[in-house]
Amino acid sequence: MLSSLIWLPIVGAAIIGFLPSRFSTSQIRTGAVWLSGAVLLWTIWLLTQFDIHNPGLQFREYLPWIETLGLNYELGVDGLSIVLLALNSLLTWIAIFSSSVQIDRPRLFYSLILLINGGVAGAFLAQNLLLFFLFYELELVPFYLLISIWGGEKKGYAAIKFLIYTAISGALILMGFLGLVWLSGASDFTYQSVLGQTLPLSLQVILLGVLLVGFGIKIPLVPFHTWLPDTYVASSTPVVMLLGGVLAKLGTYGIFRFGLGLFPEAWAKLSPFLAIWAAVSILYGAMAAIAQKDIKRMVAYSSIGHMGYILLGAAALTPLALVGAVSQMIAHGLILAILFHLVGVIETKVGSRELDVLNGLLNPIRGLPFVSSLLILGAMASAGIPGLAGFIAEFLIFQGSYAVFPIQTLVAVIGTGLTAVYFVILLNRTCFGRLDNATAYYPKVLWLEKAPAIVLAILILFLGIQPTWLVRWTEATTTAFVAAIPVTEPSAPIVQAMPIDSPRLPQ
Amino acid sequence: MPQFFADTAWFIPCYPLVGMVLSIAWFPSMIRRTGPRPAGYVNAITTFFALIHGLLALPAVLHQPAQYLYLPWLQVAGLDLTLPVEVSALTIGAAILVTGLNLIAQIYAIGYLEMDWGWARFYALLALFEAGMCALVLSNSLFFSYMVLEILTLGTYLLIGVWFNQSLVVTGARDAFLTKRVGDLFLLMGVLAIYPLAGTWDYNELAEWAQTANLDPTLATWVGLALMAGPMGKCAQFPLHLWLDEAMEGPIPSTILRNSVVVATGAWVLVKLEPVLALSPVVMNTTMVIGALTAIGGTLIAIAQIDIKRSLSYLVSAYMGIVFIAVGSQQTEAALLIVFTHALAMATLVASSGSIILNCITQDLTQLGGLWSRRPITGLSFVVGAIGLAALPPLGSFWAMLKLADGLWQIRPWLVGLLLVINGLVAFSVTRTFGRIFAGNPQQMTERSPEPLWAIILPMAVLAGFTLHVPMILQHFNLLPAWADLNKDVALLLTWSSLFGFSIGGVIYIGNYVSKPIQLPWKPLQDLFAYDFYTPKLYRSSVVGSVDVISRITDWVDRYFVDGIVNLIGLSSIFGGETLKYSNSGQSQFYVLTIAIGVIFLAVLMSWSFLTHL
Repeated sequence: MLSSLIWLPIVGAAIIGFLPSRFSTSQIRTGAVWLSGAVLLWTIWLLTQFDIHNPGLQFREYLPWIETLGLNYELGVDGLSIVLLALNSLLTWIAIFSSSVQIDRPRLFYSLILLINGGVAGAFLAQNLLLFFLFYELELVPFYLLISIWGGEKKGYAAIKFLIYTAISGALILMGFLGLVWLSGASDFTYQSVLGQTLPLSLQVILLGVLLVGFGIKIPLVPFHTWLPDTYVASSTPVVMLLGGVLAKLGTYGIFRFGLGLFPEAWAKLSPFLAIWAAVSILYGAMAAIAQKDIKRMVAYSSIGHMGYILLGAAALTPLALVGAVSQMIAHGLILAILFHLVGVIETKVGSRELDVLNGLLNPIRGLPFVSSLLILGAMASAGIPGLAGFIAEFLIFQGSYAVFPIQTLVAVIGTGLTAVYFVILLNRTCFGRLDNATAYYPKVLWLEKAPAIVLAILILFLGIQPTWLVRWTEATTTAFVAAIPVTEPSAPIVQAMPIDSPRLPQ
Repeated sequence: MPQFFADTAWFIPCYPLVGMVLSIAWFPSMIRRTGPRPAGYVNAITTFFALIHGLLALPAVLHQPAQYLYLPWLQVAGLDLTLPVEVSALTIGAAILVTGLNLIAQIYAIGYLEMDWGWARFYALLALFEAGMCALVLSNSLFFSYMVLEILTLGTYLLIGVWFNQSLVVTGARDAFLTKRVGDLFLLMGVLAIYPLAGTWDYNELAEWAQTANLDPTLATWVGLALMAGPMGKCAQFPLHLWLDEAMEGPIPSTILRNSVVVATGAWVLVKLEPVLALSPVVMNTTMVIGALTAIGGTLIAIAQIDIKRSLSYLVSAYMGIVFIAVGSQQTEAALLIVFTHALAMATLVASSGSIILNCITQDLTQLGGLWSRRPITGLSFVVGAIGLAALPPLGSFWAMLKLADGLWQIRPWLVGLLLVINGLVAFSVTRTFGRIFAGNPQQMTERSPEPLWAIILPMAVLAGFTLHVPMILQHFNLLPAWADLNKDVALLLTWSSLFGFSIGGVIYIGNYVSKPIQLPWKPLQDLFAYDFYTPKLYRSSVVGSVDVISRITDWVDRYFVDGIVNLIGLSSIFGGETLKYSNSGQSQFYVLTIAIGVIFLAVLMSWSFLTHL
């Protein structure tokens, strides 16, 4: 059941990769669209079968593999992974759909994207630390190739930077996993067997720190983010959709599952620091975005800021903030995908991404009115305007974290204001203004290019108006996450419990 | 039957929403064959339905206690977001005012935007505003009010930006969005902060909680100030007032709505929040001070403007300032009454100024004049609006101001004095505008200026008619004071202040006794008013400038420091590798030497503890 989500794309990738040359580019594309469509349908079917009241793992699969290493093929989904799986399947389908019909080397391109789809699904499904790590590393090379072959300007630099950063991230995560299993004396790498570890708090904090940096590179959090703008800008539209929409979620998923899930005590201890880190990330991302002159780079920086909200929600450790953080992952994935798609369309039609060059695209006759309208919608969703998916996720995070970290939350609210600032700059420069009639001979926007944006826009609008559908699968699981935290009050009770030779004992 | 309409009153905002969705079909990229005009007709029809629904529901709610409907929206992790709909005479009345003014503005737009191509977008946005305002008045929850206000902020941005080709429109839309967003974010902070304290966002439960709440005064002050900041942005109060002035770049039909009811959304939320604000005297005093400053400053600035729309828009800020004074002194009824009377009078004034602008092509007061004989209907409507705005009996504003002044008479007499000054200045200002348009000799731009299309004249005349009938409407709903309770001193003072303002304005601007333009004796003072207290410069040098500088610094740090370190590590590893490759010389003596050094180093290291104890 779950395996098909991994192996269908991977086998498909293998088939597409070795198709004989008599198949044309468009036939290969159609095949990839249908394959990823089938994966998407399968995911939707899983969503309908998922028991939303059960916080635990569902549809579990187990196959012994290398037992001496403690590596087994164990899969399962809970409310956290199922929504991210859905996001992964959807965005892969949209990425394939939105890729250019006349792409170079289509076999390699589509098989790499399908490989990524399978790998990410595997990472979300894996219930064994080593298995997770394998799938996590599986992304690395396909993305490297996708960036360095089909990328834009400075693609070589960007691809290497991405490769090195992500490799370091993987190494740190492996370090954290090995340390955790060996030090806690667990029998194997199964998630459940390390779940109840009772390591000393200081050791936990160190291991959690290692994992945080590892996943923090992937998310990315300031200051481990500098690979992101370069990579995002250099990647082609479908690749950047997957990078921003899905790959970044691998980092946040890791933080939830392996940071918060495995080290609840250490997490509670570090949470004030994490909240500050989140607030800094939010402000830093927003401020850096304001100064950008390239719209793709601006959207890339917006992603850094928005990841901060997820960390803030995770740090707050209230049921509301956690469900908000997971919703934010979904909302951010959808919004970032639509923004990058539209920026890509503008780039191909107008031939520029520079704020100083673009102007008046909302012009109904010779501009790109449809693209501009949806760009307004996407930008406003990202800026957290109610009625669109971004708002409710951010609001749940804020309301959930305000009681715990009021100052950091208010700083994050200021961050949403700054988000509005750069998106208004973007919209004012690109959509509004006078279209230069001398240069405005843009090719027509094809229906094929509109369709992905329409699907995403409808989803963003629907989830904004009916947010129940954003939270219903997650709520039980995130509530269970909070319930698993042994002490709700950070620090104080732990400090009291620490002294072993307390003077009370003799009495 | 009326009960059925009252029970389904939650549907009133849905009519315009249907219109909004339908108008998408006439976007230029969809239907081109019919042209965009059907979008306008569809929206006018849906607005008409909304108005009829409200009117039919009214009999069921008159003199009845408020009924509540609850529409579940989101329940998650212990947070229950249910939309409470309050159906009462007040909310239905407000919805009728909103839909009625919308209908008038939409018919007006049929005439005013006759040659425009952006009908579908424009009407869709008007419908969004209508839906939003109806939802705002019907919802009884701070959270949903906040949501609506935020959506309307976006709506303002798009509605001002309808003519997005022009650079002033673009900056105006941007400033409106960001200024309102600043207010909204403070409101969001307040919304976040009040929930853990009160445990509810429903206005009536908040009011109940506020009666018994035992809150830390500092906290109450901060929360109250945050909650007040949202309405401040919406009502264009100092220092968040600049957007309303820049919003005048948008089309007149939307200005009719903006100057009458859209700004009043802030006042509505403020009135609803009054019990919470009253928890802290600091907040109440701040509200009053901000209102008073805006009212005085707004009228003074209005007098110094040479743009018709701007001279009217600053009066809107001023009147909203008076509403702030009213709420700050806990006179919510007077506040709502002022909102109501001001809405109709201001709508009449804007509609008639639009009728002038359309045919004279200019909105520069210095280029107009002598239109009284050419534009009698517009002129009369302007007069009605002017008298309706300033407190002159028997028209509406007089009774609203009287109620406020009467309430202030005992507790804060100096505020009554202030009110009289403001009222006189308002009367002076509208007379000045009237004089510059209608009196004097015709100029180049006004030489040929007939009354425009019926679609403009009719709504304008209807608005003037409603303005004239405001006292009867008030009478019908028992909102006029009985003759015996009338505070005749205040009434006389108010009347005198209006007469004073009107006559001085008349002497200067209608009678041709003083040469124009009029210079104040001290030039910097005149510039201060003419350039809006230099607020744009103030913004640029404070908030805008600092955000700009910080963002540049962040970008610099990001490029050259954070990324610089990364690149330095990369470079140094390449450099290190390049350097080290020269050590592979192939000479065995060199390798032996390195091995020997390494062995010695290791030996010293391992025997370090022994060596130190020697």
